[in-house]
Formats: sequence, C-alpha cells, structure tokens
Amino acid sequence: MPTLLEEFLGVRLGGSPYLRLHSVTRITVPFLLSLNVLFAKDLPSVAAICFLSFALLLLSGAPLRVVRGYLALIASVTIFIALAFMLFTKVPGEVLWELQLLRVQAEKGVWEWSIVVTDASLLRTLYFSLRILSMIFIATLFIATVGDRDMLWGLRRLGLPAGVTVGASLFFRGIGFFLSDFAVVKEAMEARGVDFERTSLAKRFMLYANALIPLLSLLVTRSFEISTALETRGISPGTRLSGSYHSAPLSRGDYIVLGAVGLVTLAFAGWFVCG
Amino acid sequence: MRVVEVRGLKWRYRGSRAHVLKGVDLEVEKGELLAVTGPSGAGKTTLVLALTGVIPQRLPGEIEGEVRILGMSTLEVDVAEIARRVAVVFEDPEIQFVMSTVEDELALSLEARGLPREEIREKILWALELVGLGEEFLERQPHQLSGGEKQRVAIAAAVAREPELLILDEPTSDLDPQGKEEVVEAIESVRDSLDATVIMVEHEPELIERFADRLVVLDDGVVVMEGEPQEVYSRVEEAKRHAVYPPEDFEVAVQLGLKPPVRRELLELAVLNTPLDGLCSFPRSKGGEVVVSARDVWYTYPGGVEALRSVSLELRRGELAALMGPNGSGKTTLAKVLAGLLKPARGEVRVMGRPIAEFSRLELSSLVGYVYQNPQHQLFCQSVFEEVAFGLKLRGVRGEELERRVTEALRFFKLEELRDEHPFFLSKGEKRRLALASVYALRPELLIVDEPTTGQDRRFGEQLMEILRRLADSGKSVLVITHSVDLALKYADRLIAMNGGRVIADAHPLDVLSDPRIVREAKLKCPLKAELCAIAQRRRRAQP
Repeated sequence: MPTLLEEFLGVRLGGSPYLRLHSVTRITVPFLLSLNVLFAKDLPSVAAICFLSFALLLLSGAPLRVVRGYLALIASVTIFIALAFMLFTKVPGEVLWELQLLRVQAEKGVWEWSIVVTDASLLRTLYFSLRILSMIFIATLFIATVGDRDMLWGLRRLGLPAGVTVGASLFFRGIGFFLSDFAVVKEAMEARGVDFERTSLAKRFMLYANALIPLLSLLVTRSFEISTALETRGISPGTRLSGSYHSAPLSRGDYIVLGAVGLVTLAFAGWFVCG
Repeated sequence: MRVVEVRGLKWRYRGSRAHVLKGVDLEVEKGELLAVTGPSGAGKTTLVLALTGVIPQRLPGEIEGEVRILGMSTLEVDVAEIARRVAVVFEDPEIQFVMSTVEDELALSLEARGLPREEIREKILWALELVGLGEEFLERQPHQLSGGEKQRVAIAAAVAREPELLILDEPTSDLDPQGKEEVVEAIESVRDSLDATVIMVEHEPELIERFADRLVVLDDGVVVMEGEPQEVYSRVEEAKRHAVYPPEDFEVAVQLGLKPPVRRELLELAVLNTPLDGLCSFPRSKGGEVVVSARDVWYTYPGGVEALRSVSLELRRGELAALMGPNGSGKTTLAKVLAGLLKPARGEVRVMGRPIAEFSRLELSSLVGYVYQNPQHQLFCQSVFEEVAFGLKLRGVRGEELERRVTEALRFFKLEELRDEHPFFLSKGEKRRLALASVYALRPELLIVDEPTTGQDRRFGEQLMEILRRLADSGKSVLVITHSVDLALKYADRLIAMNGGRVIADAHPLDVLSDPRIVREAKLKCPLKAELCAIAQRRRRAQP
C-alpha cells in the first residue's frame, strides 16, 4: 500500500525490513521517538535520539533527498536560534567572542547591547537544532512508512465510531479531491484568459478567492452525496466498526523493535521525571 | 409478495418552493426488475432517497403519503435498519468509494454488521466474482480502477450484503461504452445469481429494454407512463414528450413507417434495396480554413504515462468533430493540448497558422475556448451575468458593449431569465449551458466541449448538440468529446476515434461507425442507423 509520502509527494520506497513490520509498530515507533525528543534534557541525549531516528530512517529505505528538502529550513531555524541566544540574551558561560553593538550612557547608568558568544549559548543552539532535526527525521520516518490505511485500521481497532474512522478516511481522500479540483479550477480560469504569472498579487488574491466558490460548491455536493451513500449502506456517525477484519498478529520482529524503543522511552521518561 | 408500496408520495425540500414529488404511486413485486426513467430533474433520485428512508429521516422537508419497503414504513423504521435489507448503487462511482482499497470498501458495510473475519472475506470474494472482478483487485486503490471497474466495485459492495432490494441509480451514466458494457454484465450476473428485487433508474433505452420487466416514466414528480418497456417505447411520440427516447430500432422503424421492434427486418430491407427514405441524411461540412493544427504531437504526464503518441490532425471552420474513444485513450489530453492548456513534449500545435507558443494566454483563449466536463469547475462568479462577463471584462470590454455581448450569449443559451441568479443554485443542465455561454461570449474560432451530455437526459443532449451544430454551421469549428455514438452520428460531420494515445480513425461518423475493426478498437458501438445506411451506401456503390 502506498505510504503518505508516496501519496503526497509521489516518492515510492523500495522494500525494507522496517516496512515489513506491523502497522502498529510503524505507527508506535515514531510516536515513542517523538516523546523521547520531549524527554531529552541535554545535548548527548538529544544527539542519541537524533542518531537513532536517522538510523531508523535509513533502515526504512526512505530516500535522503526527502530530508534534503528540509536542510534550508533547518539552517534558517538554527540561525534564528543562534541569534536568539547570542544577540538578545546573554547565556551565562565562558565568553568565546564578544562584540559591542551599542552603549548608552544615561543618568541612571549604562545600557549595553552586545553579541556575546559563550560556550553555553553554542551548546544550547546545538541542542535545539538537534531537537528540530530529530523531529524532522521522525516525521519523515512516519510519513515514509505509514499509509492512510494503516492509520484507519489502527483507529478502527481502537473501537472508535464510524464518524471518526470513516471521517478520517474521507479526510485523506478529500485532500486528493481538493488538490485536483483546485488544479482544474485554476486551469479553467486560464482557459478563459487569466494569466496567473502576469497578474498582480492583489488581483491574484481575488482570483483565488473566486476559486473558493466552485471549490465550496463541489465540497457541499460531494459531502451530501457521500453522506447519503454511507447512510444507505447502514453506516451512520455512531456505527461501531469492529476492526476485526485486518487484525493480523504482531511478529517477533515487531515485539523486538517495540520492546527496544519502549525501553529507551521508559529510560528517558524516568530520567526526565527523576533525574 | 409486494416489496415496494408507495402511496400518494409528495415531497418538498426545505427552502424549495415546489414539490419534487407530486403524488407518486408505485408498487413493485418480489423478483421484479423495475426501470424508472424520465427527464433530468423529474424526481428520480429523490424517489430513490425516499425508498431508502433517507427521505424523510435525514433530509429536511415536507412529506405526504407513505412508503413501505419490505413491509417497513420509512416513517417509522430507521434508515440503518432499512439499509440491512436494501442496497443502493449511485451514479458517481468516484464519490461512492469511501475507503482507500477495494477490499476495505467491501469490508466496510459487512464489518458494520459485526460479521466474523472469515465470513467477511468469503462474502467479499463472492461479490467480486459476481461482478467479474478477481482477487487481484482487493489491494487496488480508486485511482487504479477505470470508471466501469469502480462502479462494479460499488455493485459488489451492495451485493455483498445480499440485499432483498437492490436499487441502482443511473449506474452507467458516467461511463464510456466499455464501462457501460462491464456494468451491464455485472447487473446481468447479479440478477441471475440473486433472488433480489431490482429497481434501476436509467436513461439508456437499450439497457431498459434488455433488463426491465416493467418501465415507469417519471416526469415533473408524477408517474406519467407505465407498462412493459416495449409497450411504453412503442408510444414513441408520447414517450419523447417526457424526454424518453426509445431504443434505436423503435425510432428507425417509426421513421420508416414500420411496426416496431424490427431490427432484423430493417436490416433485410436495407439489403433488399429498399429506399430508406430520409434516414440516411447526415450533416456534411464544406471544410473551411484550418483553425488549429497538430503535427506529430506527443504528451507524457509527470508520472510517466504516455497520453498522446504522434497525433496529427487539422480542425477547420464549419466542422463539428466528435472526439471518441475509451476512458484513458487521450481525448481530454489532446483537447487540452489543442487549447494550449498542456504543452506537448514533442510536436507542434498551430492556431490560425501561428505556433501556439507565440500567443499570450489572453489571445489564445479568445481563439480557442474550452468547456470542462463538470461545469462546477468553471463557474466562479457571483451571478450568471458576471460569469459570462468575466472573460469579456478581462479583455477590456465595458459598458454597453459588455451588456450587449453578455445578453446575446445568455439569449443563445436560453439563460436570460436567470441573469441575476447565483450559478450555485442552477440545475445541472443550466450550469452546463452557463459554462458554454461563458466561453461562447468570447467568440472563439474553435470551441472544445468535454463530454457535455454525460449524466443528462437524451432531450438535453439533443438540444445541446443542436446548438453546437448551429455554431459550426455559422462558421465556427467545434470539437466535442462524447461517448454517445447516436448523437455523434446525428450531429457531427467528422469523427475522430482514439485509443492508446493515437488517432485510429478520422472520417465521417458513418464511415467510422460502420467499420467493425475501428468500432472494436475504439470500444464504440455501431448504431443501427449507421449499419443500415452503410449497407445502403455499399449497395449504391455496387450498382452500375
């Protein structure tokens, strides 16, 4: 089954041992890892989480070009974090470099504004940047290995009503409908003479606002048709679906992976609470 | 045993001025296959919703009369309870597909019944086999299925529940001829295997004649004709007044003054040199100046699907060309390439002799107009007037000139009275006419119309094709993508048949449709009229 990565970006993964794991495992592992990012309190621990997430990402067979797209984002966020710690605050520690930008001598004293690079500010910048990097690895691991079907059956096994599970399915299908409808509406405007590339920003905004009319009208029509079709199949928002149809057992590999990641999470949680 | 009993059913949607159903009386016996037909907007789908209990339980409005299904009153028994014994297949196969795979789709309603895993699996496989789809379809996703396959999945999902009453609401109207045939076979198989009562809302007379035990014609919310299909269709003029067009052999027989149905006799007449008075007159184009030409055009979609492969053609003034072929054959892609909405990977497209790339978007859209299959995609203004004026305003048309041109377009498409209405509140047919008017107002030299008659009754199809014929006769060039061979034969002067991204035939509709090889390859069907006229033509040629 295609994963979210394939559905949204068209990136298809080759087979890998990680992908053969049960959907419960593929959903739970990123979830636990993301908890660990919250629990990690210092640089070595966050570096370990980052390494672990990256290793799992490699194991899953996800192409690194997906992550490469986020490098610019990571770099710019890192710069902002660094500026925040060096330009606007003074993080206590050994001063490695300092540059005074402004010095105001007033009646009540002196006010100074400097760029101060301390060893602690560098470590904090690295710590936060690694947390962001870890989150990107984990999110990529999730979308590269989990499909909408995995999530839907997961929700059903939880015994949630059809209003939630079928609603979630329709949400995923709706994204596809919305994107293709939007592309057609935009093309239909072009077919009547609109040139988006040569249109001013204000005019373009108005055109996109106009595009909402057919999109909303399609949304209303489709919602009515879908809900009618579901009602006539005996499925109303309160219907309980057992989820029994797709209830394959977990394999030994699943238990090992879940156990290992679970232990790591327990350790981090314990350290976070008690340490 | 009576499965359906409808007594004096009247229904008015909340906020609507008029009743949609104005006193329907209907009875259906166990094991019967009842066909319901009538013009668009007659209340057919509303009747279906009333038979399932969705009306009045889930939709707001006023009801009078009574509906009893399998002894259950829809006023008293909950929709979910009725749904345990009644299954419905709707018109749009895309919308009905709720889950992401065929297997999940079929499992959905079975799981809601709390059946064990093995039984669900067994029923899924049985239902799939019944509609002619194998186990290999289980993992398929909606986008991997053709229209016909999707509709067969919808039928399988309905049949898997083993309903006592199966309702099919225009199950073939969105499909190409091949898809229709697939669905027809599935219905045939279901009918043979299940002892279910079936109600089928349908426009296709051939389908009704083939399957139905009884036909009910609904018009303006009341039953206006009822009887065996042959009996109803033999009242040709009365049926046509209600937008019910009989099967082709009935029509041809009446035209020749014979007693229908006489398919074999008609063919014998043609072979025996009998003059087929007035039957074989078809539109012919004089062939004017070339408006758009394509030479060795190739197009590949980003996913790698090769949609066009070395297509070359010329479209001239005064022509009404029908572009036909199965779904996925490249018709819409070719139309979009000709309209400059897609850029070919290879080859050249010229408009009025100039390469298409030399035109700005505004210039090009003034020469080549494109009307989309779903009019909802191209109506984005606040009123009918504004919609038609949109393109003109972009071109700087203002004041009296704007008023005059918009009014002319609205008059041409009979929309004058609706000029201040919001497009959202128009009927399907009106939306389609508005979409055409908004492009027509720009006075393009070539008008491309994508499947304008899909899902509409035959009367609407005829009216629309008449308008397009008039446009072609006035010197414009018109290209219509359609699945209707009857309309193509009657109104077009040229038929371009495609398959696998290639043009496999390009000639007069009569010549294309009477060539069995092309008909087979382009997955078309040969209308009786084409068959008769081709025989007459061959006979004439053979005469010294």
